Amino acid sequence: MIDIARKILLHDKLRFVITVSGVTFAVTLVLVQMGLFRGILSHASITIEKANAGLWVTSRNTANVDFCGTFSEHYLHRIRSVPGVARADNLIVWYLRLRLPTGASEGVMLYGLKDFTGWNIPWQLAAGDLTKLRCGNYLFLDASGIRRFGPFAVGDFREIMGRRMKIIGLTREAESFTTTPVGFVDFQRLQEMDPYNLKGKTTYVLVRLAPGADLSTVRQEIQKRLPYNDVRTQAEWVSISRRYWVVSTGLGLNMFLTVFLGCLVGVVIVAQTLYTSTLDHYREFATVKAIGGSNADIYRILIKQAVLAAVAGFAAGWMLSYAVRPVMAKLGLTVGIDPRFVGLVFIGTVVLCVSASLVSFRKVATMDPVLVFRA
Amino acid sequence: MLEATNVCKSFVEGRQRVEVLRSVSLRVEPGEIVILEGPSGSGKTTLLSILGCILTPSSGQVLVDGRRVDSQSPRALPEIRRRYIGFVFQQFNLFAPLTARENVEYALNLKGGRGRNARAEAERLLDAVGLGDRRDFLPRDLSGGQKQRVAVARALAGNCPAILADEPTGSLDSQNGAQILDLFRQASRRENRSVLIVTHDSRVRPIADRVVCIRDGCVVTEA
Repeated sequence: MIDIARKILLHDKLRFVITVSGVTFAVTLVLVQMGLFRGILSHASITIEKANAGLWVTSRNTANVDFCGTFSEHYLHRIRSVPGVARADNLIVWYLRLRLPTGASEGVMLYGLKDFTGWNIPWQLAAGDLTKLRCGNYLFLDASGIRRFGPFAVGDFREIMGRRMKIIGLTREAESFTTTPVGFVDFQRLQEMDPYNLKGKTTYVLVRLAPGADLSTVRQEIQKRLPYNDVRTQAEWVSISRRYWVVSTGLGLNMFLTVFLGCLVGVVIVAQTLYTSTLDHYREFATVKAIGGSNADIYRILIKQAVLAAVAGFAAGWMLSYAVRPVMAKLGLTVGIDPRFVGLVFIGTVVLCVSASLVSFRKVATMDPVLVFRA
Repeated sequence: MLEATNVCKSFVEGRQRVEVLRSVSLRVEPGEIVILEGPSGSGKTTLLSILGCILTPSSGQVLVDGRRVDSQSPRALPEIRRRYIGFVFQQFNLFAPLTARENVEYALNLKGGRGRNARAEAERLLDAVGLGDRRDFLPRDLSGGQKQRVAVARALAGNCPAILADEPTGSLDSQNGAQILDLFRQASRRENRSVLIVTHDSRVRPIADRVVCIRDGCVVTEA
Protein backbone atom coordinates (compact mmCIF):
# COMPACT_ATOMS: atom_id res chain seq x y z
CA MET A 1 0.00 0.00 0.00
CA ILE A 2 1.44 3.35 -1.00
CA ASP A 3 2.05 5.48 2.08
CA ILE A 4 0.78 8.70 0.53
CA ALA A 5 0.40 10.40 3.93
CA ARG A 6 4.09 10.07 4.74
CA LYS A 7 5.14 10.94 1.20
CA ILE A 8 3.08 14.14 1.16
CA LEU A 9 4.28 15.08 4.65
CA LEU A 10 7.96 14.57 3.81
CA HIS A 11 7.72 16.01 0.31
CA ASP A 12 7.94 19.56 1.61
CA LYS A 13 10.78 19.17 4.07
CA LEU A 14 10.76 22.74 5.32
CA ARG A 15 7.09 22.52 6.21
CA PHE A 16 7.69 19.19 7.90
CA VAL A 17 10.52 20.69 9.95
CA ILE A 18 8.26 23.59 11.00
CA THR A 19 5.49 21.19 12.01
CA VAL A 20 7.85 18.97 13.97
CA SER A 21 9.52 22.02 15.54
CA GLY A 22 6.17 23.15 16.89
CA VAL A 23 5.54 19.78 18.49
CA THR A 24 9.13 19.58 19.73
CA PHE A 25 8.83 23.00 21.32
CA ALA A 26 5.61 22.06 23.08
CA VAL A 27 6.91 18.68 24.26
CA THR A 28 10.20 20.16 25.51
CA LEU A 29 8.38 22.95 27.30
CA VAL A 30 5.98 20.55 29.00
CA LEU A 31 8.64 17.97 29.91
CA VAL A 32 11.23 20.48 31.18
CA GLN A 33 8.70 22.64 33.02
CA MET A 34 7.03 19.65 34.60
CA GLY A 35 10.46 18.11 35.26
CA LEU A 36 11.62 21.28 37.02
CA PHE A 37 8.35 21.40 38.91
CA ARG A 38 8.74 17.79 39.99
CA GLY A 39 12.38 18.42 40.87
CA ILE A 40 11.52 21.43 43.02
CA LEU A 41 8.48 19.73 44.49
CA SER A 42 10.56 16.73 45.52
CA HIS A 43 12.40 19.10 47.89
CA ALA A 44 9.10 19.71 49.63
CA SER A 45 8.91 16.12 50.77
CA ILE A 46 12.29 14.48 50.28
CA THR A 47 13.03 14.35 54.03
CA ILE A 48 9.71 12.64 54.70
CA GLU A 49 10.29 10.16 51.90
CA LYS A 50 13.85 9.32 52.95
CA ALA A 51 13.26 9.21 56.72
CA ASN A 52 12.72 5.81 58.17
CA ALA A 53 9.45 6.75 59.89
CA GLY A 54 6.04 5.20 59.26
CA LEU A 55 4.22 7.96 61.17
CA TRP A 56 4.93 11.64 61.78
CA VAL A 57 3.37 13.38 64.76
CA THR A 58 3.05 17.09 64.02
CA SER A 59 1.53 20.10 65.71
CA ARG A 60 -2.09 20.69 64.72
CA ASN A 61 -2.62 21.69 61.08
CA THR A 62 1.04 21.89 60.14
CA ALA A 63 1.01 22.82 56.46
CA ASN A 64 4.32 21.38 55.36
CA VAL A 65 7.55 19.97 56.71
CA ASP A 66 9.38 23.33 56.66
CA PHE A 67 6.70 25.45 58.35
CA CYS A 68 6.09 23.69 61.59
CA GLY A 69 4.82 24.54 65.05
CA THR A 70 6.15 23.36 68.38
CA PHE A 71 4.72 21.14 71.10
CA SER A 72 6.09 19.59 74.27
CA GLU A 73 9.00 17.25 73.78
CA HIS A 74 7.60 15.12 76.59
CA TYR A 75 4.72 13.93 74.42
CA LEU A 76 7.35 11.53 73.12
CA HIS A 77 6.86 9.33 76.17
CA ARG A 78 3.15 8.98 75.52
CA ILE A 79 3.94 7.82 72.02
CA ARG A 80 6.64 5.39 73.07
CA SER A 81 4.16 3.70 75.40
CA VAL A 82 1.73 2.93 72.59
CA PRO A 83 1.68 -0.77 71.72
CA GLY A 84 3.11 -1.40 68.26
CA VAL A 85 5.59 1.48 68.40
CA ALA A 86 9.12 0.13 67.96
CA ARG A 87 10.84 3.46 68.20
CA ALA A 88 9.97 7.14 68.50
CA ASP A 89 12.22 10.22 68.63
CA ASN A 90 11.81 13.96 68.70
CA LEU A 91 12.81 15.91 65.61
CA ILE A 92 13.11 19.67 65.36
CA VAL A 93 13.05 21.37 61.96
CA TRP A 94 13.76 25.03 62.60
CA TYR A 95 14.76 28.11 60.65
CA LEU A 96 17.63 30.21 62.05
CA ARG A 97 20.10 32.76 60.72
CA LEU A 98 23.68 31.80 59.94
CA ARG A 99 26.37 34.49 60.01
CA LEU A 100 28.69 34.37 56.97
CA PRO A 101 32.40 35.28 57.00
CA THR A 102 31.48 38.35 54.95
CA GLY A 103 29.42 39.68 57.84
CA ALA A 104 26.14 39.05 56.08
CA SER A 105 23.68 36.50 57.34
CA GLU A 106 21.61 33.87 55.54
CA GLY A 107 18.80 31.62 56.62
CA VAL A 108 19.49 27.99 57.40
CA MET A 109 16.97 25.19 57.95
CA LEU A 110 18.32 23.07 60.79
CA TYR A 111 17.31 19.50 61.56
CA GLY A 112 17.85 18.48 65.17
CA LEU A 113 17.82 14.80 66.18
CA LYS A 114 19.55 12.79 68.86
CA ASP A 115 20.30 9.86 66.59
CA PHE A 116 20.41 10.76 62.92
CA THR A 117 21.66 7.40 61.71
CA GLY A 118 18.69 5.61 63.25
CA TRP A 119 16.28 7.56 61.06
CA ASN A 120 18.26 7.76 57.82
CA ILE A 121 18.48 11.54 58.12
CA PRO A 122 20.48 12.80 56.28
CA TRP A 123 20.45 10.05 53.67
CA GLN A 124 23.54 10.94 51.67
CA LEU A 125 26.79 11.81 53.40
CA ALA A 126 29.66 13.44 51.53
CA ALA A 127 31.99 13.73 54.53
CA GLY A 128 31.98 13.38 58.32
CA ASP A 129 30.65 11.16 61.08
CA LEU A 130 27.08 11.87 62.20
CA THR A 131 27.56 10.31 65.63
CA LYS A 132 30.01 13.07 66.51
CA LEU A 133 27.32 15.74 66.27
CA ARG A 134 26.44 15.12 69.93
CA CYS A 135 29.98 15.82 71.09
CA GLY A 136 30.03 19.61 70.79
CA ASN A 137 28.99 22.66 68.83
CA TYR A 138 29.11 20.77 65.60
CA LEU A 139 27.22 21.12 62.39
CA PHE A 140 26.69 19.22 59.15
CA LEU A 141 25.82 21.35 56.12
CA ASP A 142 24.41 20.26 52.80
CA ALA A 143 26.82 20.90 49.95
CA SER A 144 24.08 22.69 47.97
CA GLY A 145 24.35 25.51 50.53
CA ILE A 146 27.44 26.75 48.73
CA ARG A 147 25.17 28.79 46.43
CA ARG A 148 23.89 30.84 49.37
CA PHE A 149 26.73 30.57 51.88
CA GLY A 150 29.69 30.76 49.53
CA PRO A 151 32.49 28.18 49.75
CA PHE A 152 32.79 26.19 52.98
CA ALA A 153 34.55 23.00 54.00
CA VAL A 154 34.83 20.57 56.85
CA GLY A 155 36.76 22.26 59.65
CA ASP A 156 35.35 25.73 58.93
CA PHE A 157 33.34 27.61 61.55
CA ARG A 158 30.02 29.39 61.10
CA GLU A 159 28.06 31.37 63.69
CA ILE A 160 24.41 30.57 64.36
CA MET A 161 22.46 32.59 66.94
CA GLY A 162 25.73 33.77 68.45
CA ARG A 163 27.05 30.25 68.78
CA ARG A 164 30.24 29.30 66.95
CA MET A 165 29.56 26.02 65.17
CA LYS A 166 32.20 23.85 63.56
CA ILE A 167 31.35 22.18 60.29
CA ILE A 168 32.28 18.53 60.78
CA GLY A 169 30.51 16.99 57.84
CA LEU A 170 28.83 17.54 54.49
CA THR A 171 25.68 16.02 53.02
CA ARG A 172 24.10 15.89 49.59
CA GLU A 173 20.52 16.10 48.25
CA ALA A 174 19.15 17.62 51.44
CA GLU A 175 17.47 20.71 50.03
CA SER A 176 14.41 22.56 51.23
CA PHE A 177 11.60 23.70 48.96
CA THR A 178 12.29 27.31 49.88
CA THR A 179 15.92 26.88 48.74
CA THR A 180 17.07 27.71 52.27
CA PRO A 181 20.22 25.61 52.83
CA VAL A 182 19.80 22.65 55.15
CA GLY A 183 22.01 21.78 58.14
CA PHE A 184 22.01 19.11 60.81
CA VAL A 185 22.79 19.59 64.52
CA ASP A 186 22.23 17.69 67.72
CA PHE A 187 18.65 17.95 69.05
CA GLN A 188 19.63 19.47 72.41
CA ARG A 189 22.08 21.86 70.77
CA LEU A 190 19.33 23.16 68.53
CA GLN A 191 17.04 23.73 71.51
CA GLU A 192 19.83 25.69 73.18
CA MET A 193 20.34 27.86 70.10
CA ASP A 194 16.80 29.23 70.28
CA PRO A 195 15.67 28.62 73.87
CA TYR A 196 12.88 31.14 73.69
CA ASN A 197 11.06 29.04 71.10
CA LEU A 198 12.50 25.59 71.55
CA LYS A 199 13.24 24.97 75.23
CA GLY A 200 11.40 21.78 76.17
CA LYS A 201 9.80 21.72 72.72
CA THR A 202 9.93 19.67 69.57
CA THR A 203 8.33 20.12 66.16
CA TYR A 204 7.85 16.47 65.21
CA VAL A 205 7.95 13.02 66.64
CA LEU A 206 9.12 10.34 64.27
CA VAL A 207 7.51 6.95 64.83
CA ARG A 208 8.63 3.56 63.58
CA LEU A 209 6.28 0.64 63.95
CA ALA A 210 7.15 -2.74 65.35
CA PRO A 211 7.07 -5.58 62.81
CA GLY A 212 3.50 -6.79 62.35
CA ALA A 213 1.94 -3.73 63.99
CA ASP A 214 -1.12 -2.31 62.26
CA LEU A 215 -0.46 1.21 61.03
CA SER A 216 -4.00 2.54 61.42
CA THR A 217 -4.45 1.02 64.90
CA VAL A 218 -1.19 2.55 66.12
CA ARG A 219 -2.09 5.84 64.51
CA GLN A 220 -5.51 5.92 66.17
CA GLU A 221 -4.01 5.13 69.53
CA ILE A 222 -1.42 7.91 69.24
CA GLN A 223 -4.12 10.32 68.12
CA LYS A 224 -6.21 9.35 71.12
CA ARG A 225 -3.32 10.11 73.45
CA LEU A 226 -2.37 13.36 71.67
CA PRO A 227 -5.71 14.88 70.73
CA TYR A 228 -4.21 18.30 69.97
CA ASN A 229 -1.66 16.97 67.50
CA ASP A 230 -1.95 15.46 64.03
CA VAL A 231 -0.66 11.99 63.26
CA ARG A 232 0.25 11.52 59.63
CA THR A 233 1.30 8.48 57.67
CA GLN A 234 4.37 8.95 55.51
CA ALA A 235 2.38 9.01 52.25
CA GLU A 236 -0.20 11.39 53.66
CA TRP A 237 2.44 13.76 54.98
CA VAL A 238 4.26 13.76 51.62
CA SER A 239 1.01 14.60 49.90
CA ILE A 240 0.11 17.40 52.35
CA SER A 241 3.55 18.98 52.13
CA ARG A 242 3.51 18.94 48.34
CA ARG A 243 -0.08 20.09 48.03
CA TYR A 244 0.68 23.11 50.19
CA TRP A 245 3.17 24.46 47.67
CA VAL A 246 1.11 23.50 44.63
CA VAL A 247 -2.22 24.87 45.81
CA SER A 248 -1.50 27.57 48.36
CA THR A 249 1.27 29.41 46.55
CA GLY A 250 -0.09 29.63 43.00
CA LEU A 251 2.84 27.51 41.85
CA GLY A 252 0.46 24.83 40.59
CA LEU A 253 -1.60 27.36 38.66
CA ASN A 254 1.56 28.85 37.20
CA MET A 255 2.72 25.41 36.12
CA PHE A 256 -0.69 24.54 34.72
CA LEU A 257 -0.66 27.75 32.66
CA THR A 258 2.83 27.02 31.35
CA VAL A 259 1.88 23.48 30.36
CA PHE A 260 -1.41 24.71 28.88
CA LEU A 261 0.34 27.39 26.83
CA GLY A 262 2.96 24.90 25.69
CA CYS A 263 0.24 22.54 24.50
CA LEU A 264 -1.70 25.38 22.92
CA VAL A 265 1.33 26.60 20.97
CA GLY A 266 2.04 23.05 19.81
CA VAL A 267 -1.58 22.44 18.77
CA VAL A 268 -1.84 25.76 16.95
CA ILE A 269 1.39 25.18 15.02
CA VAL A 270 0.40 21.64 14.07
CA ALA A 271 -3.15 22.67 13.17
CA GLN A 272 -1.91 25.58 11.09
CA THR A 273 0.76 23.66 9.21
CA LEU A 274 -1.54 20.70 8.56
CA TYR A 275 -4.28 23.06 7.42
CA THR A 276 -2.02 24.97 5.04
CA SER A 277 -0.63 21.65 3.86
CA THR A 278 -4.21 20.51 3.18
CA LEU A 279 -4.83 23.71 1.22
CA ASP A 280 -1.62 23.24 -0.74
CA HIS A 281 -2.56 19.66 -1.54
CA TYR A 282 -6.20 20.51 -2.07
CA ARG A 283 -6.13 19.58 -5.74
CA GLU A 284 -4.39 16.31 -4.95
CA PHE A 285 -6.98 15.46 -2.31
CA ALA A 286 -9.72 16.36 -4.80
CA THR A 287 -8.02 13.95 -7.23
CA VAL A 288 -8.09 11.25 -4.54
CA LYS A 289 -11.84 11.82 -4.31
CA ALA A 290 -12.29 11.91 -8.08
CA ILE A 291 -10.52 8.59 -8.61
CA GLY A 292 -12.66 6.90 -6.02
CA GLY A 293 -11.28 7.87 -2.64
CA SER A 294 -13.78 8.77 0.05
CA ASN A 295 -13.61 11.45 2.73
CA ALA A 296 -12.54 8.69 5.12
CA ASP A 297 -9.53 7.91 2.89
CA ILE A 298 -8.42 11.55 3.14
CA TYR A 299 -9.14 11.72 6.88
CA ARG A 300 -6.86 8.71 7.28
CA ILE A 301 -4.12 10.57 5.39
CA LEU A 302 -4.52 13.63 7.63
CA ILE A 303 -4.61 11.59 10.84
CA LYS A 304 -1.52 9.65 9.82
CA GLN A 305 0.30 12.89 9.05
CA ALA A 306 -0.67 14.23 12.47
CA VAL A 307 0.53 11.04 14.18
CA LEU A 308 3.82 11.13 12.25
CA ALA A 309 4.36 14.78 13.23
CA ALA A 310 3.48 13.91 16.83
CA VAL A 311 5.89 10.97 17.00
CA ALA A 312 8.77 12.86 15.34
CA GLY A 313 8.15 15.99 17.44
CA PHE A 314 7.80 14.00 20.63
CA ALA A 315 11.03 12.07 19.99
CA ALA A 316 12.95 15.28 19.34
CA GLY A 317 11.37 17.02 22.34
CA TRP A 318 12.10 14.07 24.61
CA MET A 319 15.74 13.98 23.56
CA LEU A 320 16.03 17.74 23.98
CA SER A 321 14.55 17.52 27.47
CA TYR A 322 17.20 14.99 28.45
CA ALA A 323 19.89 17.12 26.81
CA VAL A 324 19.04 20.16 28.96
CA ARG A 325 19.27 18.18 32.23
CA PRO A 326 23.06 18.56 32.64
CA VAL A 327 22.76 22.28 31.88
CA MET A 328 20.03 22.66 34.49
CA ALA A 329 22.03 20.59 36.97
CA LYS A 330 24.89 23.10 36.66
CA LEU A 331 22.41 25.77 37.73
CA GLY A 332 21.42 23.64 40.70
CA LEU A 333 18.06 22.69 39.19
CA THR A 334 16.79 19.14 38.99
CA VAL A 335 14.67 18.14 35.99
CA GLY A 336 12.78 15.08 37.21
CA ILE A 337 11.50 13.23 34.15
CA ASP A 338 9.32 10.35 35.21
CA PRO A 339 8.80 7.57 32.61
CA ARG A 340 5.08 7.44 33.39
CA PHE A 341 4.79 11.16 32.79
CA VAL A 342 6.78 10.79 29.56
CA GLY A 343 4.26 8.14 28.47
CA LEU A 344 1.41 10.47 29.36
CA VAL A 345 2.98 13.33 27.39
CA PHE A 346 3.42 11.00 24.41
CA ILE A 347 -0.25 10.02 24.46
CA GLY A 348 -1.22 13.67 24.96
CA THR A 349 0.98 14.73 22.04
CA VAL A 350 -0.62 12.21 19.69
CA VAL A 351 -4.14 13.09 20.85
CA LEU A 352 -3.54 16.84 20.51
CA CYS A 353 -1.92 16.51 17.07
CA VAL A 354 -4.77 14.34 15.81
CA SER A 355 -7.21 16.89 17.27
CA ALA A 356 -5.30 19.61 15.43
CA SER A 357 -5.78 17.72 12.17
CA LEU A 358 -9.56 17.85 12.69
CA VAL A 359 -9.43 21.50 11.59
CA SER A 360 -8.61 20.23 8.11
CA PHE A 361 -11.41 17.64 8.14
CA ARG A 362 -14.10 20.21 7.49
CA LYS A 363 -12.19 21.57 4.53
CA VAL A 364 -11.92 18.09 3.08
CA ALA A 365 -15.55 17.22 3.81
CA THR A 366 -16.77 20.23 1.87
CA MET A 367 -14.30 19.71 -0.97
CA ASP A 368 -15.87 19.52 -4.40
CA PRO A 369 -14.00 17.01 -6.57
CA VAL A 370 -15.24 18.88 -9.65
CA LEU A 371 -12.33 21.26 -9.14
CA VAL A 372 -10.04 18.60 -10.65
CA PHE A 373 -11.40 19.66 -14.01
CA ARG A 374 -10.44 23.28 -13.54
CA ALA A 375 -7.22 24.34 -15.17
CA MET B 1 -21.54 1.65 -21.12
CA LEU B 2 -22.41 5.21 -20.09
CA GLU B 3 -25.87 6.66 -20.60
CA ALA B 4 -27.47 9.97 -19.71
CA THR B 5 -31.17 10.43 -20.47
CA ASN B 6 -32.88 13.84 -20.25
CA VAL B 7 -30.33 15.05 -17.78
CA CYS B 8 -30.77 18.55 -16.37
CA LYS B 9 -28.42 20.31 -14.02
CA SER B 10 -28.83 23.69 -12.43
CA PHE B 11 -26.80 25.60 -9.87
CA VAL B 12 -27.84 28.39 -7.58
CA GLU B 13 -25.47 31.35 -7.74
CA GLY B 14 -26.49 34.02 -5.27
CA ARG B 15 -30.19 34.58 -5.99
CA GLN B 16 -29.95 33.30 -9.52
CA ARG B 17 -30.62 29.80 -10.70
CA VAL B 18 -28.31 28.87 -13.58
CA GLU B 19 -29.35 26.01 -15.82
CA VAL B 20 -26.18 24.37 -17.11
CA LEU B 21 -27.66 21.28 -18.74
CA ARG B 22 -31.11 21.14 -20.31
CA SER B 23 -32.49 17.70 -21.00
CA VAL B 24 -29.27 16.25 -22.39
CA SER B 25 -29.16 12.67 -23.54
CA LEU B 26 -25.97 10.86 -24.46
CA ARG B 27 -24.93 7.24 -24.73
CA VAL B 28 -21.41 5.83 -25.00
CA GLU B 29 -21.27 2.13 -25.92
CA PRO B 30 -18.51 -0.25 -24.84
CA GLY B 31 -15.61 -0.02 -27.30
CA GLU B 32 -16.82 3.35 -28.54
CA ILE B 33 -14.99 6.68 -28.45
CA VAL B 34 -17.25 9.72 -28.21
CA ILE B 35 -15.96 13.27 -28.37
CA LEU B 36 -17.87 16.01 -26.61
CA GLU B 37 -17.25 19.42 -28.12
CA GLY B 38 -18.60 22.85 -27.41
CA PRO B 39 -17.62 26.38 -26.41
CA SER B 40 -16.57 27.31 -22.90
CA GLY B 41 -19.50 27.32 -20.48
CA SER B 42 -21.63 25.09 -22.70
CA GLY B 43 -21.90 22.36 -20.01
CA LYS B 44 -19.39 19.81 -21.34
CA THR B 45 -17.49 19.40 -18.08
CA THR B 46 -20.71 19.34 -16.06
CA LEU B 47 -21.99 16.48 -18.24
CA LEU B 48 -18.63 14.71 -17.86
CA SER B 49 -18.84 15.16 -14.07
CA ILE B 50 -22.36 13.73 -13.99
CA LEU B 51 -21.42 10.74 -16.12
CA GLY B 52 -18.32 10.34 -13.93
CA CYS B 53 -20.48 10.27 -10.77
CA ILE B 54 -18.78 13.36 -9.37
CA LEU B 55 -21.95 15.42 -9.66
CA THR B 56 -25.53 14.28 -9.39
CA PRO B 57 -28.07 15.59 -11.91
CA SER B 58 -30.96 17.83 -10.89
CA SER B 59 -33.19 15.55 -12.93
CA GLY B 60 -32.90 12.83 -15.55
CA GLN B 61 -31.44 9.37 -15.50
CA VAL B 62 -27.79 8.25 -15.56
CA LEU B 63 -26.63 4.68 -16.09
CA VAL B 64 -23.07 3.48 -15.62
CA ASP B 65 -22.41 -0.05 -16.83
CA GLY B 66 -26.15 -0.66 -16.70
CA ARG B 67 -26.48 0.52 -13.13
CA ARG B 68 -28.61 3.53 -12.31
CA VAL B 69 -26.50 6.06 -10.42
CA ASP B 70 -28.48 9.35 -10.47
CA SER B 71 -30.54 8.29 -7.46
CA GLN B 72 -27.59 7.02 -5.44
CA SER B 73 -26.63 8.80 -2.24
CA PRO B 74 -23.43 10.89 -2.41
CA ARG B 75 -21.79 8.37 -0.05
CA ALA B 76 -22.22 5.61 -2.63
CA LEU B 77 -20.65 7.54 -5.50
CA PRO B 78 -16.95 7.05 -4.57
CA GLU B 79 -17.46 3.29 -4.76
CA ILE B 80 -19.02 3.62 -8.25
CA ARG B 81 -16.13 5.84 -9.39
CA ARG B 82 -13.63 3.32 -8.02
CA ARG B 83 -15.21 0.39 -9.85
CA TYR B 84 -16.37 1.84 -13.13
CA ILE B 85 -14.65 5.11 -14.01
CA GLY B 86 -11.13 6.16 -14.93
CA PHE B 87 -10.37 9.88 -15.22
CA VAL B 88 -7.78 11.77 -17.27
CA PHE B 89 -7.43 15.48 -16.57
CA GLN B 90 -6.00 18.35 -18.61
CA GLN B 91 -3.62 19.28 -15.76
CA PHE B 92 -2.66 15.60 -15.21
CA ASN B 93 -3.35 15.90 -11.44
CA LEU B 94 -0.60 13.48 -10.52
CA PHE B 95 0.49 13.29 -6.90
CA ALA B 96 3.72 15.29 -6.80
CA PRO B 97 5.40 13.32 -3.98
CA LEU B 98 4.74 9.95 -5.67
CA THR B 99 6.75 8.40 -8.48
CA ALA B 100 5.05 7.39 -11.73
CA ARG B 101 4.67 3.83 -10.46
CA GLU B 102 3.37 4.96 -7.08
CA ASN B 103 0.80 7.22 -8.72
CA VAL B 104 -0.65 4.25 -10.60
CA GLU B 105 -0.23 1.90 -7.66
CA TYR B 106 -2.06 4.28 -5.32
CA ALA B 107 -5.05 4.30 -7.69
CA LEU B 108 -4.95 0.50 -7.63
CA ASN B 109 -4.77 0.61 -3.82
CA LEU B 110 -7.94 2.73 -3.74
CA LYS B 111 -9.60 0.15 -6.00
CA GLY B 112 -8.62 -2.67 -3.62
CA GLY B 113 -5.28 -3.75 -5.11
CA ARG B 114 -2.62 -4.56 -2.54
CA GLY B 115 1.07 -5.47 -2.23
CA ARG B 116 3.10 -7.09 -4.98
CA ASN B 117 0.13 -7.65 -7.26
CA ALA B 118 -0.69 -3.93 -7.28
CA ARG B 119 2.94 -3.08 -7.85
CA ALA B 120 3.27 -5.54 -10.73
CA GLU B 121 0.02 -4.28 -12.28
CA ALA B 122 1.21 -0.66 -12.01
CA GLU B 123 4.46 -1.59 -13.75
CA ARG B 124 2.55 -3.45 -16.47
CA LEU B 125 0.34 -0.43 -17.09
CA LEU B 126 3.35 1.89 -17.28
CA ASP B 127 5.01 -0.51 -19.71
CA ALA B 128 1.79 -0.42 -21.75
CA VAL B 129 1.90 3.37 -22.03
CA GLY B 130 5.63 3.25 -22.87
CA LEU B 131 6.95 4.53 -19.55
CA GLY B 132 8.52 1.37 -18.16
CA ASP B 133 11.88 3.10 -17.97
CA ARG B 134 10.43 6.14 -16.13
CA ARG B 135 8.51 4.32 -13.44
CA ASP B 136 10.65 5.66 -10.58
CA PHE B 137 10.59 9.27 -11.77
CA LEU B 138 8.69 11.91 -9.85
CA PRO B 139 6.17 13.94 -11.92
CA ARG B 140 8.46 16.98 -11.78
CA ASP B 141 11.07 14.98 -13.69
CA LEU B 142 8.67 13.96 -16.46
CA SER B 143 7.66 15.91 -19.56
CA GLY B 144 4.02 16.96 -20.09
CA GLY B 145 3.40 14.05 -22.46
CA GLN B 146 4.95 11.58 -20.05
CA LYS B 147 2.84 12.93 -17.18
CA GLN B 148 -0.30 12.50 -19.25
CA ARG B 149 0.70 8.95 -20.10
CA VAL B 150 1.07 8.25 -16.36
CA ALA B 151 -2.39 9.76 -15.89
CA VAL B 152 -3.76 7.45 -18.61
CA ALA B 153 -2.10 4.46 -16.95
CA ARG B 154 -3.75 5.53 -13.69
CA ALA B 155 -7.13 5.81 -15.45
CA LEU B 156 -6.70 2.33 -16.91
CA ALA B 157 -5.87 0.88 -13.49
CA GLY B 158 -8.41 -1.50 -12.06
CA ASN B 159 -9.96 -2.43 -15.42
CA CYS B 160 -12.74 0.13 -15.11
CA PRO B 161 -15.09 -0.08 -18.12
CA ALA B 162 -15.28 3.68 -18.80
CA ILE B 163 -12.61 6.34 -19.34
CA LEU B 164 -13.56 9.99 -19.06
CA ALA B 165 -11.01 12.51 -20.26
CA ASP B 166 -11.15 16.28 -19.92
CA GLU B 167 -9.02 18.07 -22.52
CA PRO B 168 -6.39 15.29 -22.38
CA THR B 169 -4.31 16.84 -25.16
CA GLY B 170 -4.87 20.45 -24.13
CA SER B 171 -1.43 20.85 -22.57
CA LEU B 172 0.50 18.70 -25.04
CA ASP B 173 2.29 19.22 -28.32
CA SER B 174 1.02 17.34 -31.38
CA GLN B 175 3.43 14.41 -31.09
CA ASN B 176 2.64 13.77 -27.43
CA GLY B 177 -1.06 14.41 -28.12
CA ALA B 178 -1.03 11.72 -30.82
CA GLN B 179 0.56 9.23 -28.43
CA ILE B 180 -2.14 9.86 -25.84
CA LEU B 181 -4.90 9.48 -28.40
CA ASP B 182 -3.37 6.21 -29.51
CA LEU B 183 -3.62 4.99 -25.92
CA PHE B 184 -7.32 5.89 -25.86
CA ARG B 185 -7.84 4.06 -29.14
CA GLN B 186 -6.18 0.95 -27.71
CA ALA B 187 -8.27 1.15 -24.55
CA SER B 188 -11.41 1.33 -26.63
CA ARG B 189 -10.65 -1.16 -29.39
CA ARG B 190 -8.59 -3.77 -27.56
CA GLU B 191 -10.14 -3.57 -24.11
CA ASN B 192 -13.68 -2.66 -25.15
CA ARG B 193 -13.87 0.34 -22.83
CA SER B 194 -16.25 3.26 -23.29
CA VAL B 195 -14.24 6.45 -23.83
CA LEU B 196 -15.71 9.94 -23.53
CA ILE B 197 -13.38 12.83 -24.34
CA VAL B 198 -14.22 16.47 -23.72
CA THR B 199 -12.07 18.63 -25.96
CA HIS B 200 -11.64 21.74 -28.07
CA ASP B 201 -8.77 20.10 -29.91
CA SER B 202 -9.64 19.23 -33.50
CA ARG B 203 -6.70 16.76 -33.60
CA VAL B 204 -8.77 14.41 -31.46
CA ARG B 205 -11.57 14.04 -34.03
CA PRO B 206 -9.92 11.32 -36.18
CA ILE B 207 -10.08 8.73 -33.40
CA ALA B 208 -13.74 9.39 -32.59
CA ASP B 209 -16.60 7.08 -33.47
CA ARG B 210 -19.00 9.95 -32.80
CA VAL B 211 -18.69 13.67 -32.13
CA VAL B 212 -21.34 15.33 -30.01
CA CYS B 213 -21.62 19.11 -29.92
CA ILE B 214 -23.15 20.82 -26.95
CA ARG B 215 -24.16 24.48 -26.74
CA ASP B 216 -25.93 26.35 -23.93
CA GLY B 217 -26.61 23.10 -22.13
CA CYS B 218 -28.22 21.34 -25.06
CA VAL B 219 -26.91 18.76 -27.54
CA VAL B 220 -27.04 20.55 -30.88
CA THR B 221 -25.39 18.15 -33.30
CA GLU B 222 -24.34 14.54 -33.28
CA ALA B 223 -22.20 13.13 -36.10
